[in-house]
Amino acid sequence: MDLNPTKKSTLKGYLYLLPALLILITFNIYPIIKSFVMSLYTDFDFFTGEVFAYGFGNFVEIFQDPNFRIAIVNTVIFVIGVVPLSIVLSLIISLFLNSKIKFRGAFRTIYFLPYVTSVVAISIVWSWIFHYDYGLLNYFLSWFGIDPIAWLRDPQYAMPALIIVSVWKGLGFNIMIMLAGLQTIDEQYYLAAKVDGASAWHRFKSVTLPLLSPTLFFVSIISIINGFKVFDEIFALFDGRPGPGNSALTVVYYIYQKFYEEWQFGLASAAAFVLFIIIFLFTIIQLVLGKKFVHYN
Amino acid sequence: MKKRFLLTTILSLFFLLVLSACSGEDTTSTEDKEAKDAEKTEENKDNEETSEPVEIEFWHAMSGPHEEALQSFVETFNSENESITVKAVNQGGYDDLEQKIMASAKAKTLPTMSQAVTGVIPEYINNDFVEPLNTYMEDEEIGLSEDERNDFMEIFRESSKWDDTYYSVPFSKSTRVMFYNKTILEENGFDVPETWQDVREISEAVTKDNVIGMGFENSFEAEFQAILKQLGGTYIDEEAKEAQFASEKGIEAMTFINDMIQEGIARTAGEDQYMSNPFGRGDVAMYIGSSAGIPHIAGAAEEGLEWGVTTNPTWEGEGATTFAGNDIVMFNQSEDAEKEAAWKFMKYLTSPEVTAEWAMKSGYLPVRSSALELEEYKTFLEENPAYAAASQQVDTGFFTARVTGGDAVRNIVLEELDKIVLGEKTVEDGLTSAQERSNEELKK
Repeated sequence: MDLNPTKKSTLKGYLYLLPALLILITFNIYPIIKSFVMSLYTDFDFFTGEVFAYGFGNFVEIFQDPNFRIAIVNTVIFVIGVVPLSIVLSLIISLFLNSKIKFRGAFRTIYFLPYVTSVVAISIVWSWIFHYDYGLLNYFLSWFGIDPIAWLRDPQYAMPALIIVSVWKGLGFNIMIMLAGLQTIDEQYYLAAKVDGASAWHRFKSVTLPLLSPTLFFVSIISIINGFKVFDEIFALFDGRPGPGNSALTVVYYIYQKFYEEWQFGLASAAAFVLFIIIFLFTIIQLVLGKKFVHYN
Repeated sequence: MKKRFLLTTILSLFFLLVLSACSGEDTTSTEDKEAKDAEKTEENKDNEETSEPVEIEFWHAMSGPHEEALQSFVETFNSENESITVKAVNQGGYDDLEQKIMASAKAKTLPTMSQAVTGVIPEYINNDFVEPLNTYMEDEEIGLSEDERNDFMEIFRESSKWDDTYYSVPFSKSTRVMFYNKTILEENGFDVPETWQDVREISEAVTKDNVIGMGFENSFEAEFQAILKQLGGTYIDEEAKEAQFASEKGIEAMTFINDMIQEGIARTAGEDQYMSNPFGRGDVAMYIGSSAGIPHIAGAAEEGLEWGVTTNPTWEGEGATTFAGNDIVMFNQSEDAEKEAAWKFMKYLTSPEVTAEWAMKSGYLPVRSSALELEEYKTFLEENPAYAAASQQVDTGFFTARVTGGDAVRNIVLEELDKIVLGEKTVEDGLTSAQERSNEELKK
């Protein structure tokens, strides 16, 4: 096969790319550029599109806003709380689902259900589970002599509650991807390892982990990006407020407040751009680290 | 395949993901609207060919029985006015409605008229997309007579007026009323509370086991405002655009509420979202909430729960009650004929008979004084005494200052009040910080 691009093959390739590209440019690339430009508007009329002054005032203002700092800190705590826990749990569960057990298909469906259920429905159910007086969780805890916890009312517990819901909700997707990854690992590696006398732990550490690393890498990037974008769960779990005493205020929630509730379009755009930069940096770091640790066969 | 996908598209992936939360929604709803609008203009063209008839769109956030009632008004109006077709379109909740108005204002595809939260109307006025109604109102042919204009309850006339210009007509209006559990009060030998001191006294006595005396909604800034007003203080001065609630009176008002919560004889709705839920379970003896919540209690109340509704408590005889709710506005991007049709529909919706019927079906307040005198409405109140309290307090009613940046101030106040109740700040610190931050917003 001719590997050098010819005019014809290039044109053909571009044609294939065109439909998706058009959609991406219209609904993603253009809004990103537009919101970056908007973050530089300091005096403008949003509705007519007239701009009277540009500057970095919006960035100065959000960095001076204590709530924006709270939002960043909360978001980072959320990501740190959710991502590792979610990956470890889904790895364990997917190993279990990949082994030879009865009703494997049924279990797979069960674990995938949270992912396809609407966030709002999930949050409503969880807000009952977390209920102080009548919640299931406090009822379980009472068996162990633990006093009831005001999960959704106490600023100390609001974030843990949010993390629990998000981990549980994210499991299905991660498990599905990991199962697919596990099934691409050739049985022969395990057989060879067994012949060499490797224990189960050794087989996991030296065969499964390295061969699963591209999948783990993919899952971790997606999880971190999703983690930084958390919004729906908060909105539904805390009834349209960012948690008690702003304890679950995240960056996207902050953007939502500024844009839709407070009509501060410039500030919202600036905050969105900062979030974009943060995620961009994290992903670059991951890509660099990934090169070192990820084995593509 | 997956690996290549990963490596080559990782950049576009998070481009895609980052902004989907904020701009995605914006663009899709605009697109939606554009499609609808294209449809609409085509229909209009057809209409023009056959001359006269106008079709206008009316956006609202009413659902369930409220929407059914509204739809029946639309149908009656349409059949009475052959040349006008009003199309009522539900846009989801109030948040959705606000977001869609914002997006379509930007895309220049606003409907002719819409329901609107009073607090956000200043933003509409500021950005110049809402139509002043004075010329329609005073029009000899299609306007309202002097008497008719004065028949609108004063509080609603005032809340629809900015300086001397009317920008809205009142529609789904509610007020705060006090709900009480008859059984608990009777068992403890108490009458229906009339003052805040009564509320405190009752709460102290009845709080035990699983029952808490008093309940506040999560948005209890309305009660804070009411007590503040009863004490003679000011929340936000609308003319000066200045928050003044961290005064001595403000501290007194908030201390009163906060003390009750800290002592455990009062609670907020918290994770129950609305007090109607715990009240319906019999977990609280009293609570103050929106009069629009009456049907919800009827739904939440467990069998055998005896409850009543009374006017808001006073402070040593001084009454003041927050009135809130929503109006109908007309946008200025439509043709003159459409605007005229919209005005006629506004006039119809606020006519005494219709507003009375609306009140009976929805639980909102009638907006015309003469509606209270209608036999039908009087009979309704006799049969449903729960609804009577709301209209009894129109004379002491007031509304939160409507200023640009009002929503930002509301967010700040809710946050700081939250911190006070959680014990993270003292009443004085919380209010002072809320006032300072609010004034910064209001000066923008």
